[in-house]
Amino acid sequence: MAVFRCSIIGIVVFHLATAAFAEIDFDRKVAPILVKRCLECHSENTAMGGLVLTTRSGLLTGGDGGSAVSVTNPADSLFLGRITAGEMPPEQRGQSRQLPADEIRILTEWVNEGSVWPDGRTLDLFETSSEVRAGRDWWSLQPVVRPPIPATVPGSQNPIDAFVTDTLAKRGFTSAPRADRRVLLRRLYYDLIGLPPTYEQTELFIADESANAWEKVVDSLLDSPHYGERWGRYWLDLVRYAETCGYERDQEKPFAWKYRDWVINAFNVDMPFDQFVIHQLAGDEIPNRDVNSVTATGFLMLGTWNDEPNDQQDYKYERLEDLVHTTSSAFLGLTVKCARCHDHKFDPIPQVDYYRIASAFWPGPIEPRDRKLVGGPSVDELGITEVLGWTDLTAAPLPLHVLKNGSRHTPLQVVKSAPLTAVPAMFHEFDAAPPGSGTTLRRLQLARWIASPDNPLTARVMVNRLWQHHFEHGLVQSPNSFGFRGAPPTHPELLDWLAVDLISGGWKLKRIHRLILNSETWMQSSLHPRHDEYSQTDSSNQFLWRANRRRLDAEALRDSLLMVSGQLDLRIGGESFRPTISAEALEGLSRKSSAWKASSPEAQRRRSIYIFMKRHLLPPLMTTFDLCDTTLPNAQRDVTTVAPQALALLNNAFSHDQSTTLARRIMLLATSSRERAFLAWRFALGRDATADELTLAETHVNGQSARVTAGRQQRTSAAVAWRVPDSTIPTRDLVFHVRADMGIVKDKVGRVLKWSDQSGADHDASQSKPDQRPVLIDDAASGLPAVRFDGLRRFLDIDGQLLETATCSIFAVVTDRHDGGHREIISNWKRGQNVSSSMFLGLTSDDQVRFTDSFSNAGRIADRKQPFVLSAINSTQAISVFQNASKLGQRESGLPNRKLGTPWVIGQQGDINGEFWNGDIAELLVYDRALSVSEQHQVWSVLLNRYQLPTSVRTVNVDESNPDLLALASLCHVLLNSNEFIYVD
Amino acid sequence: MTLFGDDNYPRRQFPCGRTRRECVWDMGIGFAGLALTSLLDSDSFFVDKVGAAEKSGSGPLAAVARHFPARAKACIFLTMNGAPSQVDTFDHKPELTKYAGKQLPADREYINSGGRKVGYLTPEWRPFRRGGESGQLISDYFPNVRKHADKLAIVNSCHTDSHAHGSALVAVNTGKTFIGRPSLGAWCVYGLGTENQSLPGYVVMLDKRGGPISGQPNWSSGFMPSTVSGTLFRPTGDPILNLRGPAHVTREIQREQLDLLQQLNEQHLGTRKGGTDLAARIESYELAWRMQSEAPEAVDVAKETKQTLDSYGIGKEPTNEYGRNCLVARRLVERGVRFVQLYSGGGHLEDTWDAHESIEKNHGKHGAEVDQPIAALLTDLEERGLLDSTLVVWGGEFGRMPFSEGKDAPGRNHNPYGFSMWFAGAGVKGGIRYGETDELGFQATTNPVHLHDIHATILHLMGLDHERLTYFHQGRHESLTDVGGRVVSGILA
Repeated sequence: MAVFRCSIIGIVVFHLATAAFAEIDFDRKVAPILVKRCLECHSENTAMGGLVLTTRSGLLTGGDGGSAVSVTNPADSLFLGRITAGEMPPEQRGQSRQLPADEIRILTEWVNEGSVWPDGRTLDLFETSSEVRAGRDWWSLQPVVRPPIPATVPGSQNPIDAFVTDTLAKRGFTSAPRADRRVLLRRLYYDLIGLPPTYEQTELFIADESANAWEKVVDSLLDSPHYGERWGRYWLDLVRYAETCGYERDQEKPFAWKYRDWVINAFNVDMPFDQFVIHQLAGDEIPNRDVNSVTATGFLMLGTWNDEPNDQQDYKYERLEDLVHTTSSAFLGLTVKCARCHDHKFDPIPQVDYYRIASAFWPGPIEPRDRKLVGGPSVDELGITEVLGWTDLTAAPLPLHVLKNGSRHTPLQVVKSAPLTAVPAMFHEFDAAPPGSGTTLRRLQLARWIASPDNPLTARVMVNRLWQHHFEHGLVQSPNSFGFRGAPPTHPELLDWLAVDLISGGWKLKRIHRLILNSETWMQSSLHPRHDEYSQTDSSNQFLWRANRRRLDAEALRDSLLMVSGQLDLRIGGESFRPTISAEALEGLSRKSSAWKASSPEAQRRRSIYIFMKRHLLPPLMTTFDLCDTTLPNAQRDVTTVAPQALALLNNAFSHDQSTTLARRIMLLATSSRERAFLAWRFALGRDATADELTLAETHVNGQSARVTAGRQQRTSAAVAWRVPDSTIPTRDLVFHVRADMGIVKDKVGRVLKWSDQSGADHDASQSKPDQRPVLIDDAASGLPAVRFDGLRRFLDIDGQLLETATCSIFAVVTDRHDGGHREIISNWKRGQNVSSSMFLGLTSDDQVRFTDSFSNAGRIADRKQPFVLSAINSTQAISVFQNASKLGQRESGLPNRKLGTPWVIGQQGDINGEFWNGDIAELLVYDRALSVSEQHQVWSVLLNRYQLPTSVRTVNVDESNPDLLALASLCHVLLNSNEFIYVD
Repeated sequence: MTLFGDDNYPRRQFPCGRTRRECVWDMGIGFAGLALTSLLDSDSFFVDKVGAAEKSGSGPLAAVARHFPARAKACIFLTMNGAPSQVDTFDHKPELTKYAGKQLPADREYINSGGRKVGYLTPEWRPFRRGGESGQLISDYFPNVRKHADKLAIVNSCHTDSHAHGSALVAVNTGKTFIGRPSLGAWCVYGLGTENQSLPGYVVMLDKRGGPISGQPNWSSGFMPSTVSGTLFRPTGDPILNLRGPAHVTREIQREQLDLLQQLNEQHLGTRKGGTDLAARIESYELAWRMQSEAPEAVDVAKETKQTLDSYGIGKEPTNEYGRNCLVARRLVERGVRFVQLYSGGGHLEDTWDAHESIEKNHGKHGAEVDQPIAALLTDLEERGLLDSTLVVWGGEFGRMPFSEGKDAPGRNHNPYGFSMWFAGAGVKGGIRYGETDELGFQATTNPVHLHDIHATILHLMGLDHERLTYFHQGRHESLTDVGGRVVSGILA
């Protein structure tokens, strides 16, 4: 009440006071307040309480409560009353939004003076920017005009330097000195191709005294096919690139990788950016359409796709949102999707605009259809095979309605396909497709609108992206948000100058790269003599007074590790490879066994951009280093520094593999420890080590060598404690035991007809078909005989049932010569009976031990072509799998129920007539209980001694038995973990 | 949708329109502890300074202050993957006995998930009995949990947005039925940091039978930095990835490596003053070194007494696995982990609580696996004084229909319209029931509680305001509850 009284007094006072002043300026004073404070809820399409305040008649007519202003008694107007009482604008989240006193005063004066409103003037929520939202006069929506280059500081040739220096000078700043040539070259390599220069490349460049040495190396890297791999990857983040659908099944989207290759190639051939836009949005609709342009429309197919949405019809609109969002984020830097349910809260994007854009995708394959199509067109519809592309399914789609609150149950008016209204000069509704057209041509028209030189956003957004990846931050630091909620440009003139230059240069990106890379701004040192002082006012280096030191991103890091170890395979393009992912990391999948099959080690040496991007299983090593999520467009990855990154680089097998390989590479070239250390620096860090560093390194290597030797002796002595020469195998509950030096009956051609059980349980093994019998090789297993299964359909049937419960222990002495595919040693699998509940022991295509389907990634075996003992112990509470006496895998729950009453065989997967063993089996034991640890030791003692096998498989690894190699690998490992390796100055 | 304009909604922001915390986040860990604390302290976003004073360690996961004082320091979310049936567990409906064999009245509309057979109203498969002084009715699938009835606030009126497991699981974790958003645990760690820098802030332990449908997006950090995403923990051995190198790299050998590494890094740093990124990485290697021993210790239950192990049912079936997970959860909470999620049920169909075939068979099995461990967890937390500061939440992604899947068919289909969850521990009023479904247990009718409300309440109990806990992403202040959500004050102590 007190407030109200004050307001009345205020009104009276102001009323008296204003009589002496001139009429209030509507456009300058009143309209901005109405637009900012009222139109959100009182425009034609919102009209809360029936009140529309866009015209004078609306004001006079008023809403449900009657006329908003009283012409006869202005001071008594409902309009003023609600405002002065603080009821309008209404409170929000418990916060009053009462207008500031000066705004109330202006409105009061205006109403009291007769609420003068220029004839024909209709207000529009989006007409002007204010403190709370952007209007159509927002900076990024204004035409791009080439600004004058500032009168330059002497010596500055490059317009970029003129703009940047000018901005710095205004703050009294000066640029950092130019970085030295070694730093520059390394920075350039990472910047353009994502790989480090070799020592030789660096030295050549440093020695090149020609005036254009820098330009030459810039040009050669821009011409390198690896440029497209580096810069294409940034684009893939923006378009939420992945190769699977996500959701429950996460099924593969066939040929998604062809889109990736298209992007790489587009960057490499310097495809004009306007064409780049048009091909991705409408490569199927362009006049000169071809397989490549249709491949580009994979852009529209990359999103997540749910084959089991809650509501199929609702889901169509979710897909539209994905398409609108990705398109507007990637090309326009606007969040158009925010206008799906209502007018955009911050940018001049009315709700209808969202649907105008969405209508371009509406004729596409967004209706629920056959799951096999994964949300895209069929081959027939697309007209091209083996491409993941997009096209309209009809040239005459059903009308698309604006949806009230985004709900399809409350449709509003039908929309006509058109671009955004935020740029009025460019607005026109799209033409209907000419008769005979197979598609609506809406996407083509949308693409041409985006790619038009008149579009104020497209070029600005793209040059900003280029700038961002060269400098770490864009001139607009919110690269996907050029609207009200985005950051204002730090160098608006420079941004516009570059945008104009991009367009006038025929939308060629390499020109811009060249311009940037030849600027002093880019070539600055990352160190500034006045760092501390400048950081006080510009800690994030917005004004570019130095270069930003940058951490390698996930791809550059992995690729560099492979590169310095000498393993990197630089082939361009083609199908993706699947990196090895540890069994532990696979545990999160709901479908474990069929989930992941790693590619061959050779294939895994390719660059990281070729990693298969499975939405449910992004490689942990990559995500640890901030590989981004693939659900939404990502314009800027996080750069975190966390302990799991250190753990990964310190301990991950991939990382150790690179260190050891690098060490091996060095040992082939040098013999003394000092020379080796010297080479380690050259390979890993691309420079010569200092004398101090070499001394440190030598001390390290010598010390580590001694420690490795001591450690190995310790382990060996610990390991042999239980391994005694006179051990015997436990016989209690031994239900099956065959050994190739006993009980073999051969047929007349010398093949194994029968292999007699030595356990006393009479489970003899035999093969009735002569052509499916294996052979006996007399000295296959360390001089002892073994039964050879050659993978050509040989196997043996076992008499009777081996097990009553799943609790058991199996020991097999075998070799494995198979490559790829599952293969089994022993199995009771039977079609139609225990397909997912059989008992078997074998290997996967990935050389993982498979102890039934329930534990199918029990650890990878090593040195499999040499004889080894494979042991699998299942108790009710745990499973353990060993190779010799080394534990390969274990888990803390036993096998679930098994169906054990089906026939047993040796050498294939039950009766599947496949998955044949290809290798030798020298001995096989089955117990129908879990042996104790000491009993396991007894069995191993006997078998390892009989076949002269090492206790631990690891110690037979030649690498690991060489202390010099391991010590040098330790040094390499340190260098590959060092900040000098991980950061780029 | 609410307007977030600066003048309407007080929020101190950086020039880019982001809060100080968001900007700190963007720069990664690149801050020594002091710098981070002072930045956050000076931010009006964090009202209560008490938490900041208690912070331990540095970096993006350093413990930070709450929006308002709250008792819960940690949350354990017992996630019943596959969707338990409310009318067979925590929502007693005697009317079902009366109407048994009849069909659901035709006016009750629903989506028949999976187009399954529609059968007849079926009463509970196991009897309900009263527990505790409050006499709350809980069925014989949870006889041990029933003994804690006085601690439970049972919310019978939950409802959600999807009838399909994949999207409903994502919804119970992230608030939305589509993938790509940060999960509840991630929001908690984003808002509060964590109190033990040697362990992840948000730990997820899966059922051995497999992960939940939709996998990793269920514990994702979405558009927030991956540092707050859930970390999968295995309950034995090495709980997280990369804790151990090859066999020949002994601890001694690795220490030598780290010493040389630090020497080289210090030398490198010496000529590169300015910025904190290099120093932060040097520190991260020492932290990694500590994690290698501390993380396995956290899951090593060998030091627990036999009595404790027995109480959780460890070492016997069918409770061994979930019992171990529950015990590890207690150990993690003790060590300052912020959010622990334990899945019961993994993979598909009957390996989860998805009782299409038979309630009795399915819930009998899964109930027996988790009932004793959960009860033991509540007892253990209470005895150690941890229940006062630990929030325990139980629930699935939706409920099940009060009717069968055919004549004499003993299973039930999915039901997103009404289901039960319960809360216990810090800040929760025990021994009460909140909200109701209709007389058949089909649909939430009295005080319906949407998943957004559940999330708002959990955040509230953790000292976070779901409307103020926002992350600026692509032009929008995103929050867990988006435009919805209200705190269910009826269950607050």
